[in-house]
Amino acid sequence: MSHERAEFAEFFEASWEPCLKAVVASTGSVQLAEDQLAEAFARAWMSWRKLRRHPAPRAWVVRTALNTGASWWRRRIRELPLADDDAAPPRNAVPRNAVEGADDGVDASLLTALRRLPSRQREVIALRAFLDLDIETIAAHLGIAPATVRVHLSRAVAALRQELSPSQLTETD
Amino acid sequence: MNDNDHDVLTAVQDSISALPMPKAPRLEAVTARGRARRRHRLTGVSAVAAGACAALVVGLAGGGGPGSPASPGSQHGAPAIHLAAFSVVSGPRGMTTLILYPGQVANPNAVRQALAQHGIAALVTANSFCHTKEHPAPPGQVILPYRALPPGAGKAPPAIRINPAAMPAGSKISIGYRQDRAARQISATVIKAGAFLICTSILSTENAVHTFHPVPAR
Repeated sequence: MSHERAEFAEFFEASWEPCLKAVVASTGSVQLAEDQLAEAFARAWMSWRKLRRHPAPRAWVVRTALNTGASWWRRRIRELPLADDDAAPPRNAVPRNAVEGADDGVDASLLTALRRLPSRQREVIALRAFLDLDIETIAAHLGIAPATVRVHLSRAVAALRQELSPSQLTETD
Repeated sequence: MNDNDHDVLTAVQDSISALPMPKAPRLEAVTARGRARRRHRLTGVSAVAAGACAALVVGLAGGGGPGSPASPGSQHGAPAIHLAAFSVVSGPRGMTTLILYPGQVANPNAVRQALAQHGIAALVTANSFCHTKEHPAPPGQVILPYRALPPGAGKAPPAIRINPAAMPAGSKISIGYRQDRAARQISATVIKAGAFLICTSILSTENAVHTFHPVPAR
């Protein structure tokens, strides 16, 4: 048990940041991503005996976090709001939306463009950019064909490129 | 990935990395949350089994049917809600219990909706607490402190019991709680729905109209 815990601790420490970035890229909200990711890691710990043999455990965590968010939204959609809803947000509240709360140095237009992408394209971008998974692994993880992943990636990159100024594009030659 | 993709992905990486990111929670909090999920799941299975047995007993005894009275726990037909961060359970005499688990991040909107499912209109805020100038009812008639663990079983999580039947028409419960991992505190009062709200930081609890601390009080 202590060996498993040490193994999980190592995985958790190494994976939190890249997984958080991947979920933020998919959800557009740092706060939401943090909560969903904490829940996903809790589930990862519950399933660690199986998950430790998973070919891409970080991708499993990210997907679980995103599914947690989807479940929350589904429940929310089914529920009727109360007539007079919540009060004004607390003073000094952190903006819920990372794009709205973007500071200097953050490309808000790019993040907005990221949020406009279809969810599957966002997910492919997140897995590719932050977890550095190859096309085949992403395809296996999402249960779709590698060619479909390439199409998603290509369309997402094309959409994002329109928001980038030439100076933001790094030289790759 | 080809080179043309690489520049865009790098720009995405840079943009996300420029956002202020929260630090990772403590590992103990994550594993405790996992244990809580497992415990809640087991509790749910036990409750379902117990409920099925109870229904069978009632059925065999000739009870049930459209004319039979509803059980106290099903006053609003709402099932108990057990999440990693909080629980909302309707108990005897129509009382509804809200428990917040320390070390968890409870979404105020989720808490509000869970209470709404149990027939309680509430304003729920994290790290702040709101009240109105008018108090439709004394808080003590509607809200009671509650110890979620039996005496001697360790430090109980912060919890309150709400009596929806004692809430006057046009009133709501205002609940505020601290979201940080160290603090364990719920503030609650009865407010007039639609009235002007006075909100204060939960850190300055002396402004709260009615404050419940975990039992026993620290």
